Amino acid sequence: MRKSTALLFGYNDYTLEIVKNISLYYENIEIFRLDESSDKNIQNSKYKISRFDLSDDWDELKDSVNIDECTAFCVLEDTAENIFLTISLREAFEELTIVALAEDKESADKLSLAGASKVIPTIQTTANMIVEMLEKPIITQVLHNILYEKSDLKIAQIRVDNAHKFEGVYPYDIDWGAEYNVLVLSVLREDLETEFIYSSKAKHHQIKEGDVFVVVGYEKDLGEFERIMGSRYD
Amino acid sequence: MLKRLIVDGAYAISTSKRYAKIKHFFYNFLENDSNKYKKIFDLFMIALIFSSVAILIREVKSHVDDSLLFFNNYIISIIFLIEYLLRFWVTSSVSEIIIKHSEYDVMLKREFSLLKAFREIIAIKMRYVFSIKAIIDLFAILPFFHELRLLRLFVLFRVFKLFRYAKSIQTFGSVIATKKFEFLTLFIFASIVIFVSSVLIYVMEANNPTSPVNTLFEAIYWAVVTISTVGYGDIAPVTEEGRIVAMFVIVAGIAVFSFTTSLIVTAFTEKLDEIKDDKLINDIAKMKSFYLICGYEGISKEVAKKLSHNSDIIVLEENDKKARQAKKDGFFALNYDPGSIDSYRKLRINIQDQVKAILCLGHSDVENVYTALTVRSFNKDVYILSILKNKMNKNKLMFAGVNEVFYEKELVGMIAKGLAGQKIAFEAIHALRSSYNGVDMQEIVINERIAGNYRSVGKLQSKKFRILLLGLHKSDSKEFLFNPKDDTTVEAGDYLLLIGNIQFIKEFNSFLYKKDGR
Repeated sequence: MRKSTALLFGYNDYTLEIVKNISLYYENIEIFRLDESSDKNIQNSKYKISRFDLSDDWDELKDSVNIDECTAFCVLEDTAENIFLTISLREAFEELTIVALAEDKESADKLSLAGASKVIPTIQTTANMIVEMLEKPIITQVLHNILYEKSDLKIAQIRVDNAHKFEGVYPYDIDWGAEYNVLVLSVLREDLETEFIYSSKAKHHQIKEGDVFVVVGYEKDLGEFERIMGSRYD
Repeated sequence: MLKRLIVDGAYAISTSKRYAKIKHFFYNFLENDSNKYKKIFDLFMIALIFSSVAILIREVKSHVDDSLLFFNNYIISIIFLIEYLLRFWVTSSVSEIIIKHSEYDVMLKREFSLLKAFREIIAIKMRYVFSIKAIIDLFAILPFFHELRLLRLFVLFRVFKLFRYAKSIQTFGSVIATKKFEFLTLFIFASIVIFVSSVLIYVMEANNPTSPVNTLFEAIYWAVVTISTVGYGDIAPVTEEGRIVAMFVIVAGIAVFSFTTSLIVTAFTEKLDEIKDDKLINDIAKMKSFYLICGYEGISKEVAKKLSHNSDIIVLEENDKKARQAKKDGFFALNYDPGSIDSYRKLRINIQDQVKAILCLGHSDVENVYTALTVRSFNKDVYILSILKNKMNKNKLMFAGVNEVFYEKELVGMIAKGLAGQKIAFEAIHALRSSYNGVDMQEIVINERIAGNYRSVGKLQSKKFRILLLGLHKSDSKEFLFNPKDDTTVEAGDYLLLIGNIQFIKEFNSFLYKKDGR
């Protein structure tokens, strides 16, 4: 699932925060800026920064990187330009993973229509976080620590590679917590649908080769669990 | 010697906590609209007024039982008298006036003048006694002296007391009062028209034997009936000159009538927002707990929408257009500046007890720092959350006393990290967070009752309800126990963190309140 290059379109505060957080996951990060501003900051950047314009046909990009191994982040501050950029990238690269920023729900819908693989509506996301923090402070803190690795607890996606051990067994039947000290939250089936472990669909789904479990547990237990499942976790 | 005694007495009263408490209680009881007993008291007084008027009406043509008359003449009057005396007492503080004069004289190194102090006390008390409301109160007591037949009519003054108890009548009065000058002009105009036309009609018609106008009183009566556009028709001019006067009065009457209507409508339109805000402030004062959102645009709109599902929220927005929009969106919104202490004073709320959190969600860091500092200047403990627009200003917000800062761009970075690192896991958590497919994450606080029913995690039987017990948050050690063992003790104050179908979680929650699940 790992991609080798992150392509960030737009040079602003969002870019800096994204770069800071994703640098561990990508071998290569390239930033593309639309205007001449922020030149002072650019000089200090440790990443390659090039210029682009919205009428680009991306030929240079095609030659410089393996586009199948890339994830594009469209973070232009002007919504119309961001939509145009997304549609332009999708037109050129059918399989490219495009993560785009949207200010609100309306822009998010337009970006999805334009072909973005994942849209982050900033206003909604921030509002959700604020509300969760106020209404469910403890669970928000725990999840935050798990997701962003600020505690010993980790979340992992583990592939089932030796399903014969669980032949005819439903994920629902096993007390994962008692047996392996991990909690299976959900199962990603071969049809790419994620189902909560206790949902009625998951209840009727026998464990199969290739299923991916989303699991929470301590690093040591997750390693052991991954060994039992016959795969590596990341 | 007497002066010394009086001043000592004034100090004793002024410093007595018990006396202050009693006086404060009666003041709230009689004058404070947000006092919970005042509404009951007002309703009781309104009931007394109506029963008194009903007895008066019944008395006109039928015999009324002696006990009812006794109730009307004595019991009600005595209750009104007590109320009058209490209002007279709480309206101003005699002891404070004496102390003020005494200290003033000491400061100027001259002998304390008891006479001057008494003069001020009398002036202040008399100001109250001669206020319209106090006069009505006094007249309402007069039927007590029912032996004087004329005084019985003063029962009707009890109706005027309704002004005091019915808030809507007070509002109407205050609205009309804003157009005092216009109404006075109108009154003078109408009086001149009535005076001139009644004299004219008298001069034109009085000597005509066929005319019904024979006296000046009949002429004035005709002018008043005509100008008011009522026109009974019992008196009408018969001479040509008289009819010309009538035409003039009719036209003036239309003007007076339309001017009065437009004055009342304008007064109401102008005061409408204020009236609505007043009502809103009264409603807010009665709320037990709510979030106070400062600013209404972008993020705050979304936060308000989401928080309003489970909690009450109040929006403070300085910009009139945005405040209107918040009202239109169905929120309790006030067009007040969140950065002004006066706004919170006007709200008449107890921030410590009523406000769950103050959310500074204005469009700039400058605005949010200012709001946070304003709140901190009068309350040190209330929880303040703020959004951060520019990372450089984070310390300024923390310095201003904000408890939690949300930086939108940092959140986006973290989401990008989640998507880059563990896409499936991240999406799964995201789906759970958004209550996708009815699955939600909830925290249930263990209270004494639940802790009494179930002493260990194993007894909770969460699996039976098809929900995942992610962990237990221990209140004493502030520790999070992931996947707790069955023998882990459950204590009051702990939190259960659960993931599951919302409906199943609700069922599980009600199960916890039943001893051994029964």
